[in-house]
Amino acid sequence: MLQRILVWDIPTRVFHWLLVLSFTGAFLTAESERYRDIHVVLGYTLLGLLAFRLVWGFAGTRYARFSSFLFKPAEVAAYLSALLKGKAKHYVGHNPLGSVAIWLLLGLGIGSGVTGVLLYQEIGGDAMEELHEIVSNTMLVIVMIHIAGVVVSSLLHRENLVRAMITGFKSGEPEKGISRSFLWLGVIILVAVLAFWSNYSAIGVATPGADTASSRQHDDD
Amino acid sequence: MPAKLSKSVWVFVALAGFAMPAAYAETPNEVLSSIQQDAAATPGFQGFSGARGEKFFREKHGNEWSCSSCHTDNPAAQGKHAKTGKAIQALAPAANAERFTNMKKVDKWFKRNCTDVLGRSCTAQEKGDVLTYLLTVKK
Repeated sequence: MLQRILVWDIPTRVFHWLLVLSFTGAFLTAESERYRDIHVVLGYTLLGLLAFRLVWGFAGTRYARFSSFLFKPAEVAAYLSALLKGKAKHYVGHNPLGSVAIWLLLGLGIGSGVTGVLLYQEIGGDAMEELHEIVSNTMLVIVMIHIAGVVVSSLLHRENLVRAMITGFKSGEPEKGISRSFLWLGVIILVAVLAFWSNYSAIGVATPGADTASSRQHDDD
Repeated sequence: MPAKLSKSVWVFVALAGFAMPAAYAETPNEVLSSIQQDAAATPGFQGFSGARGEKFFREKHGNEWSCSSCHTDNPAAQGKHAKTGKAIQALAPAANAERFTNMKKVDKWFKRNCTDVLGRSCTAQEKGDVLTYLLTVKK
């Protein structure tokens, strides 16, 4: 008997969509010095979110836990071959192939953030610049594959996975659902990120571009 | 021996991957002549001008910033990022031997910075004028 069951707790969902926002924003501001401050603050946000996710991977609810999507390579291969035959088994949480993307995104996200911080601290020179671009571009590729996987899996199993990541609910057997949503923790994450952003904006206003645009006047002094 | 050989191959690969980009692949004059080859393809090209490059460097081009907003009016001095306030190493080759010694890097930063300053890519003429100017700047 299928029911509407809670699968993704609120901290996991807040994390997911804030990560989407941070990564997208960081990518859109990557090519310009005019938005360098925004790029940097979004990079820090991304790192902070991933730090939370690492903890939540051990302390979170059933499907948010790493142990729920730590599959053996053989399971991934078996899932892939079943998928190619159009007979992929349905998973309530991450499926084995999807979990590969999640692991890669976690690793590449941390790599992108850490190389970005090092670059901003002027550690590692040109090689760090290259590395930051390579890691970040690779992450973009995995994001695309992740989105494609979500679309394919949604069509295959006739369930809207994007909606599930928004509402937290899927259709499933009642005993497979999680019982707590941890709303309070989701609120804390959201408030913390918004506070960080507004605080940073204030710093940004304190050092406007006009500061150095008037350097010619200083030269005349 | 094969084990030792493969180890040295890996050391070479590692060095090639990380150390070589730091080496000066080109001289600023080689970079300039490479830009000149591009510019020469444009009809009516009559060479580069340092004076025109200096003017271009200091003027705004419709956007908020000029080149000198970050690099200052003295390219031999340390600059300051107009957004983050972070220090930028001197741009003139006379003051900073690393500058304009890697064509890939030159292309990358002209592309980024021209987009900010002009809202478009710079022409080979503009790049050549600016580099000609920078090469005249004394330490």
